[in-house]
Amino acid sequence: MSAPAVPIGPRDGPFDPSVRWFQHAVFYEVLIRGFYDANDDGTGDLKGLREKLDYLQWLGIDCLWLLPFYPSPFRDGGYDISDFFNVHPDYGTLGDLVGLLEDAHRRGIRVIADLVMNHTSDQHPWFIESRSSRTNPKADWYTWNDDDQRWPEARVVFTDVERSNWTWDDTRQQYYWHRFYSHQPDLNYDIPEVADTMVDLVRFWLDLGFDGFRLDAVPYLYQRDGTAGEHLPETHTYIRRIRKQLEADYPGRILMAEANGWPADVADYFGDGDECHLCFHFPLMPRLFMAVRREQRYPITEILSQTPEIPEGCQWAIFLRNHDELTLEQVSDEERDYLFSEYAKDPRMKRHMGIGRRLAPLLDGDRRLAELLYALLLSLPGSPVIYYGDELLMGDNIYLGDRDSVRTPMQWSPDRNGGFSRADFAQLYLPPLMDPVYGYSAVNVEAQRRNPGSFLHWLRGMLVERRSLPVLGVGAFEVLDCPNPSVLAYVRSGDVVDVAVRATGETTLTVPAGIEGFQEAEPRSQAVLCVHNLSRFAQPAELMLGRWAGSTPLEVLGRVPFPVIGEDPYTITLGPYGYLWFDLVEPSHMPGVDGL
Amino acid sequence: MLELTDDRRLSLTQLVSAWLAQHREDRSAAEPPVEVREVEVLRAGRPGLLDVIAEAEGRAVHAVLGVRRLGEETQSLGTTDDPVLGLFEDDEGLGMVVDALHDAELAPLVLAAVTGDDTPVTGVTPVADTDEGVVLAFAERCTLTVFPRLFDGLHPGVELLVALDEAGFNHLAAPVALWRRGGRDLGVVQELLAGSAGGWALALTSLRDLYASGGLPEEAGGDFGPEGRALGTMTARMHLALDRSFGRRSEDVTERVDSVERIVVAADPALLDAPGVGEAFEALRAANLHGPVLHTHGDFHLGRTARTDQGWVVADCMPGGVPPGATDVVFRSPLADVADMLWSLHHVASVAASERDPTGRSGLAALAQGWEARNRRAFLSGYLATPGIGGLVPTDRETVGKLAAVFELERAAARIMQLGAG
Repeated sequence: MSAPAVPIGPRDGPFDPSVRWFQHAVFYEVLIRGFYDANDDGTGDLKGLREKLDYLQWLGIDCLWLLPFYPSPFRDGGYDISDFFNVHPDYGTLGDLVGLLEDAHRRGIRVIADLVMNHTSDQHPWFIESRSSRTNPKADWYTWNDDDQRWPEARVVFTDVERSNWTWDDTRQQYYWHRFYSHQPDLNYDIPEVADTMVDLVRFWLDLGFDGFRLDAVPYLYQRDGTAGEHLPETHTYIRRIRKQLEADYPGRILMAEANGWPADVADYFGDGDECHLCFHFPLMPRLFMAVRREQRYPITEILSQTPEIPEGCQWAIFLRNHDELTLEQVSDEERDYLFSEYAKDPRMKRHMGIGRRLAPLLDGDRRLAELLYALLLSLPGSPVIYYGDELLMGDNIYLGDRDSVRTPMQWSPDRNGGFSRADFAQLYLPPLMDPVYGYSAVNVEAQRRNPGSFLHWLRGMLVERRSLPVLGVGAFEVLDCPNPSVLAYVRSGDVVDVAVRATGETTLTVPAGIEGFQEAEPRSQAVLCVHNLSRFAQPAELMLGRWAGSTPLEVLGRVPFPVIGEDPYTITLGPYGYLWFDLVEPSHMPGVDGL
Repeated sequence: MLELTDDRRLSLTQLVSAWLAQHREDRSAAEPPVEVREVEVLRAGRPGLLDVIAEAEGRAVHAVLGVRRLGEETQSLGTTDDPVLGLFEDDEGLGMVVDALHDAELAPLVLAAVTGDDTPVTGVTPVADTDEGVVLAFAERCTLTVFPRLFDGLHPGVELLVALDEAGFNHLAAPVALWRRGGRDLGVVQELLAGSAGGWALALTSLRDLYASGGLPEEAGGDFGPEGRALGTMTARMHLALDRSFGRRSEDVTERVDSVERIVVAADPALLDAPGVGEAFEALRAANLHGPVLHTHGDFHLGRTARTDQGWVVADCMPGGVPPGATDVVFRSPLADVADMLWSLHHVASVAASERDPTGRSGLAALAQGWEARNRRAFLSGYLATPGIGGLVPTDRETVGKLAAVFELERAAARIMQLGAG
């Protein structure tokens, strides 16, 4: 088949906004403060991140998600913003930010920003003005009330630290509304100036070059009497307004919703394909951990069976761990007790309604288990989001307050401060890990890059393989019957086209069929069989693959052909926590069939 | 229609004898006399299908025979090495006869004949092949159960299945088509339980984890407790549906206890010396209870259940209320089914321990006991917490425990008798 020589995406030329890049992208969530300190002041900064772009390009991620970098008193990890239109001086300047965006784009890496729309810091000038009197120009930019009894149906999110969503303000002699910490008053979107200003904010950052936003705490923008104040129609209307701006003036830029809820509710944030491009699938994450502890697939398949179809052009964002606690809001009380007992044996590991631990310690450092979970993450429906440091299996520090346990400095080398900063130890924003198991002398980028057998290299290889199998991004998803409850097997399938890459002339890449620029290429169907053993013991998997009879399962990592599929049940043996991905290759597409 | 000439009748008699021989465990035993009673042509031509009912071993047997061209290749399903049974001459000439349910090409044709749906199906998997039924799964479609031994009248298992379905009990593979002729059930087609794993397999998964990690079962990762509780809930819902479908009767518990005692004495009097047994019998007699009895499942154990993405289901209704060793439906206390499941929890823990540690040196027995105790509690707690179940079983937990123990003893005695007979 002749392949058109055209650029195929961010790695090969200028960004093509028509390509739904986010449906195939691997996101990398980075805490600027903890990534790399370029100016030796003990805090990571934009220049530091910019210096490490080569590493991120080498790793093979597609999009950086920057945690809040705005001026903030840092009472909630930067989610308490005191100026939406600037960069925290600890991190650098707007100029540094533009430099970072340009360099990232040059490397084919997109960048999205965390946009905290729901609330500000109580140190924000808007709030300072609002609380100063009941008549000032911004008096209604926040929600004030004479008592704390309004909207009793709205739940308190941080039940361990906040008793109410209302807090008394001595200056104004009224209560103000907040869904999170009391130092984070909620903005009042019923005031047109607020809603307009936040749209201006979106435009401001997109004009600087951001490729989109992760919308923080998006379900809470509006309150209405008699409701729980979550997922209200007015919120959706407002998101559609922002999306319309993006479609009109910033094609190819994305919105990613942080809406912690059941999939059927969260899917509303896709709208009819006219709201968010991506939504986080929160309930999947704890169930991945539950499944490997219970050694059975049902926690995963149950939640996936409750996950609705989403509009074309949308995608779930899935993750193993992030900057927050491993949230257990979307599990039953019984399941929460179970997860606490299995993964938070020390009470200090608990944070709010979750577990403040990183991936590796959650898994007791079991690399096989980490590989299995990543294999699931990279093949289940959704765009994977990797939390910085988890590519090394970094540890955590449960003795640090709130969620700082998982926000310690990135471990670059065995040198002083883990290579994160040349500042004095006492200057560091948080102490790096120094324990013998997860400390920087044992776990760091430098050592793992030198060791081809390291987890870092393994993950990098998996990202390469994922890129070669576009059906893992947007393909149909079908769980296969397997009598063995410890085995989770599914097929991702769809039409793809093979195209030559202009840059090299000879390299062929496989991309989804139907995307702009490739309509002329002849599509072929691709089916990838993913089989995972959730048990610590070796397990057989007996699968009915009759639909693919005649195809050869080509093991993805080694390109090893397995016996041709027939009508009989197909038996695969998996080692402890083993996984196998197979490209189910039709006879006519088997390498060597045409004698070449 | 097939004209049943003497020659054809003789051929079919020999073919059914050969078919019976393939299905008998003891192939060296003398072949029983066979008398062909009915032949129905399910599919004419080649390959053809003949549905044969014959009399053998004192009851009706049911063989589905395929007639292929001579010398045709066959692809065997399951453990039968060679499905070929012999030759048969019909209007198409001489053909090679095979067991159609063990032939990968013919099994879908049997399904098509039963359902009247000619849509091609691929991927046939043999699920079970016992005297109770030959079960075939057709990928992504359904399962077909064909009864090799027929009841006079309707099959109690099918009656149970249909009754549960009509009562709105949705924890089962719903019947899609019934294969009935002359007032007898020949088979049944059910929806496929997507993503299911057997209850026994799931329990083994939990036990493997516990035996590897040690400690308390609730602290082991593969804790079965929540599953046990959900299984208990599903069991209670099954009993409520059976109550709605078949109604209930009342039974003198003392008489029942006396009857169980006689069975236990006949099996092994030493069972009565086990701790707590005597007290349970006496307490139940002293209580002078009357309780409801139902059309129960009949043989309710982990192997009859399955776990799916939607929760637990009754995967196999075929006992149909006929307990092991009985020949007809017996109305029993629903706690008899409960006792079956409790016994099954004991059994799976013991089997898993002996498989892992045949010598008993690793001390798995204590872990097994802990697992069993936890999951008995979980199962009972799910069962008794189900709204409405209080109308079917005693409200006081202690009496429930004693009654369940008595029924479990009956189950153990039946097992001893069965092993003795074997």
